[in-house]
Amino acid sequence: MNGRKREVARRLFAYEFNRSAHKIESAEERSPTYILTPTGVRCNRVFVVGVLLDREETKPDTNFWRIRLSDPTGVFTGYVGRFQPDALETLLEVEPPELIAVVAKVRHFEGETRSFVSLRPENIAVVDSDVRDYWVYETARLTLERIKAMESKEEEDVLLAWQVYNPDLEEYRSVVKQALQTVIEGAVEVRGEKEEDKEEKWEEEEEKQLEEEFEFEEEEWDLSDILGE
Amino acid sequence: MGGIDKLTEQIVKRFRDSGFDVDAKEISKRLNLLIYEFKVPESEAVRTVTNYLMKELDIDREQLAAESPLVRIADVTTPGKWVSLKAKVIQLWDATSPNISQVGLIGDETGIIKFVTWAKAEKEEVKEGKSYLFKNVVTDSFGGRMQVNVNRNSQIVEIEEDVQLPPRELEVVGALIAIQQNSGLIRRCKLCNRTMTKDICPLHGKTEGYDDLRIKGIIDDGKNFYEVILNEDNIRELTGIGLKEARKIAEEKLERSAVLAELKNRLLGRYFRVAGMRGERYLIVREVEFLKQDIRQIAGELL
Ligand SMILES: [Zn+2]
Repeated sequence: MNGRKREVARRLFAYEFNRSAHKIESAEERSPTYILTPTGVRCNRVFVVGVLLDREETKPDTNFWRIRLSDPTGVFTGYVGRFQPDALETLLEVEPPELIAVVAKVRHFEGETRSFVSLRPENIAVVDSDVRDYWVYETARLTLERIKAMESKEEEDVLLAWQVYNPDLEEYRSVVKQALQTVIEGAVEVRGEKEEDKEEKWEEEEEKQLEEEFEFEEEEWDLSDILGE
Repeated sequence: MGGIDKLTEQIVKRFRDSGFDVDAKEISKRLNLLIYEFKVPESEAVRTVTNYLMKELDIDREQLAAESPLVRIADVTTPGKWVSLKAKVIQLWDATSPNISQVGLIGDETGIIKFVTWAKAEKEEVKEGKSYLFKNVVTDSFGGRMQVNVNRNSQIVEIEEDVQLPPRELEVVGALIAIQQNSGLIRRCKLCNRTMTKDICPLHGKTEGYDDLRIKGIIDDGKNFYEVILNEDNIRELTGIGLKEARKIAEEKLERSAVLAELKNRLLGRYFRVAGMRGERYLIVREVEFLKQDIRQIAGELL
Protein backbone atom coordinates (compact mmCIF):
# COMPACT_ATOMS: atom_id res chain seq x y z
CA MET A 1 0.00 0.00 0.00
CA ASN A 2 2.87 2.28 0.78
CA GLY A 3 3.89 3.06 -2.78
CA ARG A 4 6.77 5.00 -4.10
CA LYS A 5 6.60 8.73 -4.30
CA ARG A 6 5.30 9.97 -7.60
CA GLU A 7 7.79 11.44 -10.05
CA VAL A 8 7.39 14.94 -11.46
CA ALA A 9 6.96 15.18 -15.23
CA ARG A 10 9.99 17.18 -16.39
CA ARG A 11 9.99 19.51 -19.37
CA LEU A 12 12.79 19.36 -21.85
CA PHE A 13 13.20 19.84 -25.54
CA ALA A 14 13.97 16.92 -27.86
CA TYR A 15 17.39 18.41 -28.49
CA GLU A 16 18.35 18.01 -24.85
CA PHE A 17 16.44 14.77 -24.35
CA ASN A 18 18.26 13.03 -27.18
CA ARG A 19 21.59 14.04 -25.66
CA SER A 20 20.74 12.63 -22.25
CA ALA A 21 22.90 9.56 -22.19
CA HIS A 22 23.62 9.19 -18.51
CA LYS A 23 21.54 6.85 -16.43
CA ILE A 24 21.19 7.16 -12.67
CA GLU A 25 20.27 3.99 -10.88
CA SER A 26 20.01 3.44 -7.21
CA ALA A 27 21.16 0.22 -5.60
CA GLU A 28 17.93 0.10 -3.64
CA GLU A 29 15.40 -2.34 -4.91
CA ARG A 30 12.44 -0.96 -6.79
CA SER A 31 13.76 2.56 -6.69
CA PRO A 32 13.18 4.55 -9.86
CA THR A 33 15.80 5.01 -12.55
CA TYR A 34 16.47 8.39 -14.05
CA ILE A 35 18.31 9.89 -16.90
CA LEU A 36 20.45 12.87 -16.12
CA THR A 37 20.11 15.58 -18.73
CA PRO A 38 22.97 17.82 -19.92
CA THR A 39 21.45 20.75 -17.97
CA GLY A 40 21.49 18.74 -14.79
CA VAL A 41 17.97 17.56 -14.06
CA ARG A 42 17.26 13.95 -13.29
CA CYS A 43 14.17 12.77 -14.97
CA ASN A 44 12.01 9.70 -14.84
CA ARG A 45 8.88 11.12 -16.42
CA VAL A 46 8.34 13.86 -18.99
CA PHE A 47 5.48 15.88 -20.39
CA VAL A 48 5.89 16.68 -24.08
CA VAL A 49 3.68 18.50 -26.57
CA GLY A 50 4.56 18.17 -30.21
CA VAL A 51 3.61 16.92 -33.62
CA LEU A 52 3.07 13.22 -34.02
CA LEU A 53 4.95 12.71 -37.28
CA ASP A 54 4.19 9.07 -37.69
CA ARG A 55 3.28 5.88 -35.94
CA GLU A 56 4.50 2.61 -37.22
CA GLU A 57 4.06 -0.92 -36.04
CA THR A 58 7.52 -2.24 -35.23
CA LYS A 59 6.58 -5.56 -36.80
CA PRO A 60 3.29 -6.44 -38.46
CA ASP A 61 0.48 -7.48 -36.10
CA THR A 62 2.39 -6.92 -32.88
CA ASN A 63 0.29 -3.92 -31.88
CA PHE A 64 3.56 -2.47 -30.72
CA TRP A 65 4.08 0.98 -32.15
CA ARG A 66 7.02 3.27 -32.67
CA ILE A 67 6.09 6.92 -32.70
CA ARG A 68 8.05 9.98 -33.69
CA LEU A 69 7.11 13.21 -32.02
CA SER A 70 8.59 16.51 -33.06
CA ASP A 71 9.08 19.74 -31.16
CA PRO A 72 10.82 22.85 -32.60
CA THR A 73 14.25 21.44 -31.70
CA GLY A 74 14.17 17.81 -32.72
CA VAL A 75 12.34 14.51 -32.63
CA PHE A 76 11.46 12.23 -29.72
CA THR A 77 11.11 8.51 -30.32
CA GLY A 78 8.57 6.61 -28.30
CA TYR A 79 7.09 3.14 -28.04
CA VAL A 80 3.52 2.29 -27.20
CA GLY A 81 2.24 -1.19 -26.60
CA ARG A 82 -0.50 -3.04 -24.86
CA PHE A 83 0.96 -2.33 -21.45
CA GLN A 84 -0.02 1.30 -21.88
CA PRO A 85 -3.68 0.71 -22.80
CA ASP A 86 -4.82 4.32 -22.37
CA ALA A 87 -2.03 5.70 -24.53
CA LEU A 88 -2.50 2.95 -27.10
CA GLU A 89 -6.21 3.59 -27.42
CA THR A 90 -5.71 7.28 -28.14
CA LEU A 91 -2.75 6.67 -30.42
CA LEU A 92 -4.76 4.39 -32.66
CA GLU A 93 -7.43 7.05 -33.04
CA VAL A 94 -4.97 9.72 -34.15
CA GLU A 95 -4.07 10.29 -37.80
CA PRO A 96 -0.60 11.85 -38.04
CA PRO A 97 0.46 14.55 -38.45
CA GLU A 98 -1.39 15.76 -35.39
CA LEU A 99 -0.54 17.82 -32.33
CA ILE A 100 -0.49 15.65 -29.24
CA ALA A 101 0.42 15.96 -25.59
CA VAL A 102 2.24 12.99 -24.14
CA VAL A 103 2.94 12.04 -20.55
CA ALA A 104 5.67 9.45 -20.65
CA LYS A 105 8.14 7.48 -18.65
CA VAL A 106 11.68 7.80 -19.84
CA ARG A 107 13.49 4.73 -21.00
CA HIS A 108 17.20 4.41 -21.35
CA PHE A 109 18.77 1.73 -23.46
CA GLU A 110 22.43 0.92 -23.51
CA GLY A 111 23.39 -0.24 -26.99
CA GLU A 112 26.72 -1.64 -28.03
CA THR A 113 28.02 1.60 -29.44
CA ARG A 114 25.87 4.22 -27.81
CA SER A 115 22.97 4.72 -25.50
CA PHE A 116 19.54 5.69 -26.59
CA VAL A 117 16.63 7.32 -24.78
CA SER A 118 13.00 6.95 -25.69
CA LEU A 119 9.54 7.69 -24.37
CA ARG A 120 7.09 5.19 -23.05
CA PRO A 121 3.81 7.10 -23.06
CA GLU A 122 1.32 6.66 -20.22
CA ASN A 123 -1.20 9.11 -21.61
CA ILE A 124 -1.69 10.70 -24.99
CA ALA A 125 -4.15 13.48 -25.77
CA VAL A 126 -4.88 15.42 -28.94
CA VAL A 127 -4.41 19.12 -28.20
CA ASP A 128 -4.49 22.45 -30.01
CA SER A 129 -1.68 24.84 -30.85
CA ASP A 130 -2.27 26.98 -27.72
CA VAL A 131 -1.24 24.02 -25.60
CA ARG A 132 1.80 23.45 -27.78
CA ASP A 133 2.80 27.12 -27.61
CA TYR A 134 2.53 27.19 -23.85
CA TRP A 135 4.56 23.99 -23.62
CA VAL A 136 7.33 25.54 -25.71
CA TYR A 137 7.30 28.63 -23.50
CA GLU A 138 7.24 26.60 -20.28
CA THR A 139 9.97 24.26 -21.46
CA ALA A 140 12.08 27.23 -22.53
CA ARG A 141 11.63 28.89 -19.14
CA LEU A 142 12.48 25.76 -17.18
CA THR A 143 15.47 25.00 -19.40
CA LEU A 144 16.81 28.53 -18.89
CA GLU A 145 16.37 28.07 -15.14
CA ARG A 146 18.41 24.89 -15.31
CA ILE A 147 21.10 26.60 -17.37
CA LYS A 148 21.34 29.23 -14.61
CA ALA A 149 21.66 26.52 -12.00
CA MET A 150 24.42 24.95 -14.11
CA GLU A 151 26.27 28.23 -14.02
CA SER A 152 26.13 28.47 -10.25
CA LYS A 153 27.48 24.91 -9.89
CA GLU A 154 25.95 24.13 -6.52
CA GLU A 155 23.52 21.26 -6.66
CA GLU A 156 24.72 17.71 -6.72
CA ASP A 157 23.07 16.78 -10.02
CA VAL A 158 24.42 19.93 -11.61
CA LEU A 159 27.94 18.98 -10.63
CA LEU A 160 27.37 15.51 -11.97
CA ALA A 161 26.09 16.93 -15.27
CA TRP A 162 29.25 19.01 -15.60
CA GLN A 163 31.33 15.94 -14.97
CA VAL A 164 29.40 13.70 -17.38
CA TYR A 165 28.65 16.13 -20.22
CA ASN A 166 30.73 19.25 -19.73
CA PRO A 167 28.04 20.95 -21.81
CA ASP A 168 28.37 24.08 -23.88
CA LEU A 169 25.63 26.08 -22.19
CA GLU A 170 25.54 28.59 -25.04
CA GLU A 171 24.47 25.79 -27.36
CA TYR A 172 21.48 24.99 -25.13
CA ARG A 173 20.66 28.65 -24.68
CA SER A 174 20.54 29.14 -28.42
CA VAL A 175 18.31 26.09 -28.89
CA VAL A 176 15.91 27.57 -26.36
CA LYS A 177 15.92 30.89 -28.17
CA GLN A 178 15.21 29.30 -31.51
CA ALA A 179 12.30 27.42 -30.00
CA LEU A 180 10.90 30.62 -28.51
CA GLN A 181 11.25 32.36 -31.86
CA THR A 182 9.05 29.77 -33.53
CA VAL A 183 6.30 30.55 -31.04
CA ILE A 184 6.67 34.29 -31.40
CA GLU A 185 6.65 34.09 -35.16
CA GLY A 186 3.65 31.84 -35.00
CA ALA A 187 5.09 29.04 -37.05
CA VAL A 188 6.73 26.03 -35.58
CA GLU A 189 8.89 24.48 -38.18
CA VAL A 190 9.94 20.93 -37.84
CA ARG A 191 13.65 20.42 -38.04
CA GLY A 192 15.14 17.05 -38.49
CA GLU A 193 18.31 16.24 -36.68
CA LYS A 194 20.86 14.92 -39.09
CA GLU A 195 23.04 13.16 -36.61
CA GLU A 196 20.01 11.39 -35.20
CA ASP A 197 19.48 9.43 -38.40
CA LYS A 198 18.44 6.07 -37.24
CA GLU A 199 20.95 3.34 -36.85
CA GLU A 200 18.76 0.38 -37.59
CA LYS A 201 20.89 -1.94 -35.57
CA TRP A 202 20.45 -0.50 -32.13
CA GLU A 203 16.89 0.35 -32.80
CA GLU A 204 16.04 -3.25 -33.53
CA GLU A 205 17.91 -4.33 -30.45
CA GLU A 206 15.99 -1.90 -28.36
CA GLU A 207 12.66 -2.86 -29.81
CA LYS A 208 13.23 -6.51 -29.23
CA GLN A 209 13.89 -5.85 -25.60
CA LEU A 210 10.91 -3.59 -25.30
CA GLU A 211 8.53 -6.13 -26.68
CA GLU A 212 9.66 -8.68 -24.17
CA GLU A 213 9.32 -6.22 -21.44
CA PHE A 214 6.60 -6.98 -18.98
CA GLU A 215 7.47 -4.39 -16.53
CA PHE A 216 4.84 -2.42 -14.75
CA GLU A 217 6.08 0.34 -12.60
CA GLU A 218 4.05 0.91 -9.55
CA GLU A 219 4.00 4.35 -8.30
CA GLU A 220 2.02 5.84 -5.58
CA TRP A 221 -1.25 7.46 -6.36
CA ASP A 222 -1.81 8.95 -3.03
CA LEU A 223 -5.49 9.60 -3.47
CA SER A 224 -6.09 6.14 -4.77
CA ASP A 225 -4.26 4.67 -1.84
CA ILE A 226 -6.49 6.54 0.45
CA LEU A 227 -9.65 6.37 -1.50
CA GLY A 228 -9.07 2.96 -2.97
CA GLU A 229 -12.41 1.81 -4.22
CA MET B 1 14.57 -0.45 18.81
CA GLY B 2 14.56 3.31 18.41
CA GLY B 3 10.81 3.21 17.98
CA ILE B 4 10.27 1.26 21.19
CA ASP B 5 12.44 3.66 23.16
CA LYS B 6 10.43 6.60 21.97
CA LEU B 7 7.10 4.98 22.71
CA THR B 8 8.35 3.93 26.14
CA GLU B 9 9.46 7.44 26.89
CA GLN B 10 6.11 8.75 25.80
CA ILE B 11 4.22 6.43 28.14
CA VAL B 12 6.59 7.08 31.05
CA LYS B 13 6.16 10.80 30.56
CA ARG B 14 2.41 10.58 30.42
CA PHE B 15 2.34 8.79 33.78
CA ARG B 16 5.05 10.95 35.31
CA ASP B 17 3.15 14.09 34.34
CA SER B 18 0.22 12.73 36.29
CA GLY B 19 2.39 11.96 39.28
CA PHE B 20 2.90 8.24 38.81
CA ASP B 21 6.18 6.41 38.61
CA VAL B 22 6.31 3.53 36.21
CA ASP B 23 9.03 1.05 35.26
CA ALA B 24 10.42 1.99 31.86
CA LYS B 25 12.07 -1.43 31.45
CA GLU B 26 8.80 -3.22 32.00
CA ILE B 27 7.04 -0.94 29.52
CA SER B 28 9.70 -1.45 26.92
CA LYS B 29 9.51 -5.23 27.38
CA ARG B 30 5.76 -5.25 26.93
CA LEU B 31 5.86 -2.97 23.91
CA ASN B 32 8.51 -5.14 22.34
CA LEU B 33 6.44 -8.22 22.83
CA LEU B 34 3.31 -6.66 21.39
CA ILE B 35 4.95 -4.94 18.46
CA TYR B 36 7.62 -7.40 17.39
CA GLU B 37 6.26 -10.73 18.59
CA PHE B 38 2.58 -10.19 18.05
CA LYS B 39 2.80 -7.57 15.29
CA VAL B 40 0.30 -5.31 17.00
CA PRO B 41 0.16 -1.80 15.52
CA GLU B 42 2.14 0.71 17.55
CA SER B 43 -0.79 2.84 18.62
CA GLU B 44 -2.68 -0.23 19.77
CA ALA B 45 0.35 -1.49 21.69
CA VAL B 46 0.69 1.85 23.46
CA ARG B 47 -2.96 1.76 24.38
CA THR B 48 -2.73 -1.79 25.70
CA VAL B 49 0.33 -1.07 27.83
CA THR B 50 -1.22 2.14 29.13
CA ASN B 51 -4.37 0.28 30.12
CA TYR B 52 -2.30 -2.39 31.82
CA LEU B 53 -0.41 0.23 33.83
CA MET B 54 -3.61 1.98 34.83
CA LYS B 55 -4.97 -1.30 36.13
CA GLU B 56 -1.75 -2.02 38.01
CA LEU B 57 -1.75 1.42 39.60
CA ASP B 58 -5.46 1.24 40.12
CA ILE B 59 -6.10 4.61 38.52
CA ASP B 60 -8.62 5.60 35.88
CA ARG B 61 -8.26 7.64 32.78
CA GLU B 62 -9.27 10.92 34.44
CA GLN B 63 -6.32 10.71 36.79
CA LEU B 64 -3.95 10.27 33.93
CA ALA B 65 -2.75 13.36 32.14
CA ALA B 66 -5.20 12.90 29.34
CA GLU B 67 -4.36 16.10 27.57
CA SER B 68 -1.70 15.64 24.99
CA PRO B 69 -0.02 18.95 24.25
CA LEU B 70 -1.98 21.26 22.00
CA VAL B 71 0.17 21.76 18.93
CA ARG B 72 -0.08 23.50 15.58
CA ILE B 73 -0.22 21.46 12.42
CA ALA B 74 3.08 22.85 11.19
CA ASP B 75 4.70 21.38 14.30
CA VAL B 76 3.57 17.85 13.51
CA THR B 77 6.81 16.53 12.12
CA THR B 78 7.54 13.23 13.83
CA PRO B 79 5.43 10.09 13.92
CA GLY B 80 4.30 8.31 17.06
CA LYS B 81 3.46 11.35 19.19
CA TRP B 82 0.25 11.98 21.08
CA VAL B 83 -0.97 15.47 20.33
CA SER B 84 -4.10 17.60 20.37
CA LEU B 85 -5.05 19.89 17.49
CA LYS B 86 -7.58 22.61 16.97
CA ALA B 87 -8.50 22.34 13.33
CA LYS B 88 -11.17 22.80 10.72
CA VAL B 89 -12.30 19.94 8.49
CA ILE B 90 -11.47 20.99 4.95
CA GLN B 91 -12.30 17.99 2.86
CA LEU B 92 -13.61 14.51 3.50
CA TRP B 93 -12.59 11.68 1.24
CA ASP B 94 -14.00 8.25 0.69
CA ALA B 95 -12.70 5.70 3.12
CA THR B 96 -10.83 2.84 1.52
CA SER B 97 -11.64 0.13 3.91
CA PRO B 98 -14.26 -0.77 6.45
CA ASN B 99 -11.57 -0.25 9.11
CA ILE B 100 -11.63 3.45 8.41
CA SER B 101 -14.57 5.52 9.46
CA GLN B 102 -13.43 8.85 8.06
CA VAL B 103 -10.46 10.21 6.17
CA GLY B 104 -9.72 13.64 4.83
CA LEU B 105 -7.90 16.87 5.44
CA ILE B 106 -7.98 19.18 8.42
CA GLY B 107 -6.22 22.51 8.71
CA ASP B 108 -5.27 25.35 11.00
CA GLU B 109 -3.47 28.62 10.37
CA THR B 110 -0.15 26.86 10.01
CA GLY B 111 -0.98 24.08 7.62
CA ILE B 112 -3.07 21.21 6.40
CA ILE B 113 -2.76 17.58 7.38
CA LYS B 114 -4.48 14.32 6.58
CA PHE B 115 -6.49 12.66 9.32
CA VAL B 116 -7.80 9.15 9.65
CA THR B 117 -10.48 8.06 12.09
CA TRP B 118 -10.43 4.34 12.63
CA ALA B 119 -13.78 2.63 12.66
CA LYS B 120 -12.79 0.95 15.93
CA ALA B 121 -12.45 4.38 17.52
CA GLU B 122 -16.23 4.66 17.34
CA LYS B 123 -16.21 8.42 17.06
CA GLU B 124 -19.00 10.64 15.79
CA GLU B 125 -18.36 11.74 12.25
CA VAL B 126 -17.00 15.23 11.64
CA LYS B 127 -18.44 17.55 9.01
CA GLU B 128 -16.72 19.59 6.33
CA GLY B 129 -16.37 23.26 7.24
CA LYS B 130 -16.71 22.73 11.02
CA SER B 131 -13.96 23.23 13.56
CA TYR B 132 -13.05 20.71 16.22
CA LEU B 133 -10.63 20.03 19.01
CA PHE B 134 -8.93 16.76 18.12
CA LYS B 135 -7.75 15.54 21.51
CA ASN B 136 -5.14 12.83 21.94
CA VAL B 137 -4.60 11.90 18.37
CA VAL B 138 -1.49 10.07 17.29
CA THR B 139 0.87 11.41 14.67
CA ASP B 140 1.89 8.97 11.99
CA SER B 141 3.64 8.98 8.68
CA PHE B 142 2.29 7.42 5.52
CA GLY B 143 4.20 7.39 2.25
CA GLY B 144 6.63 9.92 3.67
CA ARG B 145 3.97 12.40 4.75
CA MET B 146 2.59 13.17 8.16
CA GLN B 147 -0.95 12.42 9.20
CA VAL B 148 -2.87 12.12 12.46
CA ASN B 149 -4.86 9.09 13.54
CA VAL B 150 -7.97 9.26 15.67
CA ASN B 151 -8.19 6.17 17.85
CA ARG B 152 -10.23 4.96 20.78
CA ASN B 153 -8.35 7.14 23.25
CA SER B 154 -8.92 10.24 21.17
CA GLN B 155 -11.73 12.68 21.54
CA ILE B 156 -13.25 14.94 18.94
CA VAL B 157 -15.08 17.95 20.34
CA GLU B 158 -16.81 20.46 18.13
CA ILE B 159 -15.82 24.03 19.02
CA GLU B 160 -17.45 27.40 18.48
CA GLU B 161 -14.26 28.97 17.18
CA ASP B 162 -13.93 29.10 13.40
CA VAL B 163 -10.38 27.91 12.94
CA GLN B 164 -8.60 29.90 10.25
CA LEU B 165 -6.81 28.10 7.46
CA PRO B 166 -3.39 28.96 6.03
CA PRO B 167 -3.68 32.55 4.87
CA ARG B 168 -1.77 32.21 1.68
CA GLU B 169 -3.47 30.72 -1.27
CA LEU B 170 -1.52 29.00 -3.91
CA GLU B 171 -1.97 29.49 -7.60
CA VAL B 172 -0.58 26.86 -9.90
CA VAL B 173 -0.29 26.82 -13.66
CA GLY B 174 0.28 23.30 -14.79
CA ALA B 175 -0.82 20.51 -17.07
CA LEU B 176 -3.37 17.91 -16.10
CA ILE B 177 -1.17 14.90 -16.75
CA ALA B 178 -3.24 12.12 -15.24
CA ILE B 179 -6.85 11.38 -14.45
CA GLN B 180 -7.54 8.52 -12.16
CA GLN B 181 -9.75 5.69 -13.30
CA ASN B 182 -12.42 6.13 -10.65
CA SER B 183 -13.28 9.56 -11.98
CA GLY B 184 -16.22 10.58 -14.12
CA LEU B 185 -19.80 9.64 -13.40
CA ILE B 186 -19.64 7.89 -10.06
CA ARG B 187 -22.18 6.64 -7.58
CA ARG B 188 -22.25 7.52 -3.91
CA CYS B 189 -23.98 5.92 -0.95
CA LYS B 190 -27.10 7.80 0.16
CA LEU B 191 -26.32 7.06 3.79
CA CYS B 192 -22.68 8.12 4.00
CA ASN B 193 -21.70 9.70 0.64
CA ARG B 194 -18.88 7.23 0.14
CA THR B 195 -18.14 6.16 -3.42
CA MET B 196 -19.74 2.89 -4.32
CA THR B 197 -18.28 0.18 -6.49
CA LYS B 198 -20.95 -1.64 -8.48
CA ASP B 199 -23.65 -0.22 -6.22
CA ILE B 200 -21.91 -1.50 -3.12
CA CYS B 201 -20.89 0.90 -0.35
CA PRO B 202 -17.73 -0.16 1.50
CA LEU B 203 -19.55 0.53 4.76
CA HIS B 204 -23.23 -0.17 4.10
CA GLY B 205 -22.98 -2.85 1.46
CA LYS B 206 -25.73 -3.03 -1.14
CA THR B 207 -27.79 0.07 -0.62
CA GLU B 208 -29.30 3.01 -2.43
CA GLY B 209 -26.97 5.41 -4.17
CA TYR B 210 -26.96 8.62 -6.13
CA ASP B 211 -24.93 9.97 -9.07
CA ASP B 212 -22.05 12.38 -8.75
CA LEU B 213 -19.41 13.76 -11.05
CA ARG B 214 -15.78 14.17 -10.08
CA ILE B 215 -12.24 14.04 -11.38
CA LYS B 216 -9.25 12.97 -9.36
CA GLY B 217 -6.16 14.03 -11.18
CA ILE B 218 -2.67 15.37 -11.14
CA ILE B 219 -1.63 18.88 -12.08
CA ASP B 220 2.08 19.02 -12.84
CA ASP B 221 4.07 22.19 -13.51
CA GLY B 222 7.38 20.55 -14.32
CA LYS B 223 8.78 21.09 -10.84
CA ASN B 224 5.99 19.89 -8.57
CA PHE B 225 2.79 17.98 -8.85
CA TYR B 226 -0.43 18.48 -7.00
CA GLU B 227 -3.22 16.04 -6.49
CA VAL B 228 -6.53 17.68 -7.15
CA ILE B 229 -10.17 16.75 -6.94
CA LEU B 230 -12.53 18.57 -9.28
CA ASN B 231 -16.18 18.49 -8.29
CA GLU B 232 -19.27 18.74 -10.45
CA ASP B 233 -19.24 22.55 -10.47
CA ASN B 234 -15.59 22.67 -11.55
CA ILE B 235 -16.19 20.12 -14.27
CA ARG B 236 -19.31 21.87 -15.57
CA GLU B 237 -17.52 25.20 -15.75
CA LEU B 238 -14.64 23.68 -17.68
CA THR B 239 -16.49 21.39 -20.06
CA GLY B 240 -20.16 22.25 -20.00
CA ILE B 241 -20.75 18.72 -18.79
CA GLY B 242 -22.68 18.63 -15.56
CA LEU B 243 -24.54 15.75 -13.99
CA LYS B 244 -27.44 16.03 -16.41
CA GLU B 245 -25.19 16.03 -19.47
CA ALA B 246 -23.08 13.23 -18.02
CA ARG B 247 -26.12 11.04 -17.54
CA LYS B 248 -27.14 11.73 -21.11
CA ILE B 249 -23.73 10.68 -22.40
CA ALA B 250 -23.91 7.50 -20.34
CA GLU B 251 -27.37 6.72 -21.71
CA GLU B 252 -26.44 7.36 -25.32
CA LYS B 253 -23.27 5.28 -25.17
CA LEU B 254 -24.88 2.70 -22.94
CA GLU B 255 -22.05 2.85 -20.45
CA ARG B 256 -21.10 5.15 -17.62
CA SER B 257 -17.41 4.95 -18.47
CA ALA B 258 -18.14 6.92 -21.65
CA VAL B 259 -18.33 10.01 -19.42
CA LEU B 260 -14.79 9.49 -18.19
CA ALA B 261 -13.58 8.97 -21.76
CA GLU B 262 -15.22 12.23 -22.82
CA LEU B 263 -13.77 14.17 -19.88
CA LYS B 264 -10.32 12.78 -20.62
CA ASN B 265 -10.66 13.88 -24.24
CA ARG B 266 -11.42 17.40 -23.17
CA LEU B 267 -9.12 17.88 -20.20
CA LEU B 268 -6.10 15.60 -20.28
CA GLY B 269 -2.85 17.19 -21.42
CA ARG B 270 -4.26 20.72 -21.15
CA TYR B 271 -2.90 23.55 -19.06
CA PHE B 272 -4.91 24.99 -16.21
CA ARG B 273 -4.70 27.78 -13.72
CA VAL B 274 -5.74 26.39 -10.38
CA ALA B 275 -6.22 28.48 -7.26
CA GLY B 276 -6.69 26.93 -3.90
CA MET B 277 -5.19 25.93 -0.65
CA ARG B 278 -2.14 23.87 -0.51
CA GLY B 279 -1.71 20.76 1.56
CA GLU B 280 1.50 18.83 1.60
CA ARG B 281 0.72 17.36 -1.77
CA TYR B 282 -2.87 18.23 -2.31
CA LEU B 283 -4.26 21.35 -3.79
CA ILE B 284 -7.73 22.05 -2.50
CA VAL B 285 -9.33 23.55 -5.58
CA ARG B 286 -11.26 26.77 -5.17
CA GLU B 287 -11.09 27.87 -8.78
CA VAL B 288 -9.93 26.17 -11.91
CA GLU B 289 -9.86 27.43 -15.48
CA PHE B 290 -8.19 26.65 -18.75
CA LEU B 291 -5.00 28.66 -19.05
CA LYS B 292 -5.36 31.71 -21.22
CA GLN B 293 -2.10 33.42 -21.87
CA ASP B 294 -0.61 35.82 -24.36
CA ILE B 295 2.20 33.50 -25.34
CA ARG B 296 3.95 35.91 -27.69
CA GLN B 297 4.34 38.43 -24.95
CA ILE B 298 5.64 36.11 -22.25
CA ALA B 299 7.83 34.29 -24.73
CA GLY B 300 9.25 37.62 -25.82
CA GLU B 301 10.07 38.48 -22.24
CA LEU B 302 12.19 35.35 -21.98
CA LEU B 303 14.30 36.24 -24.99
ZN1 LIG C 1 -22.53 4.01 2.90
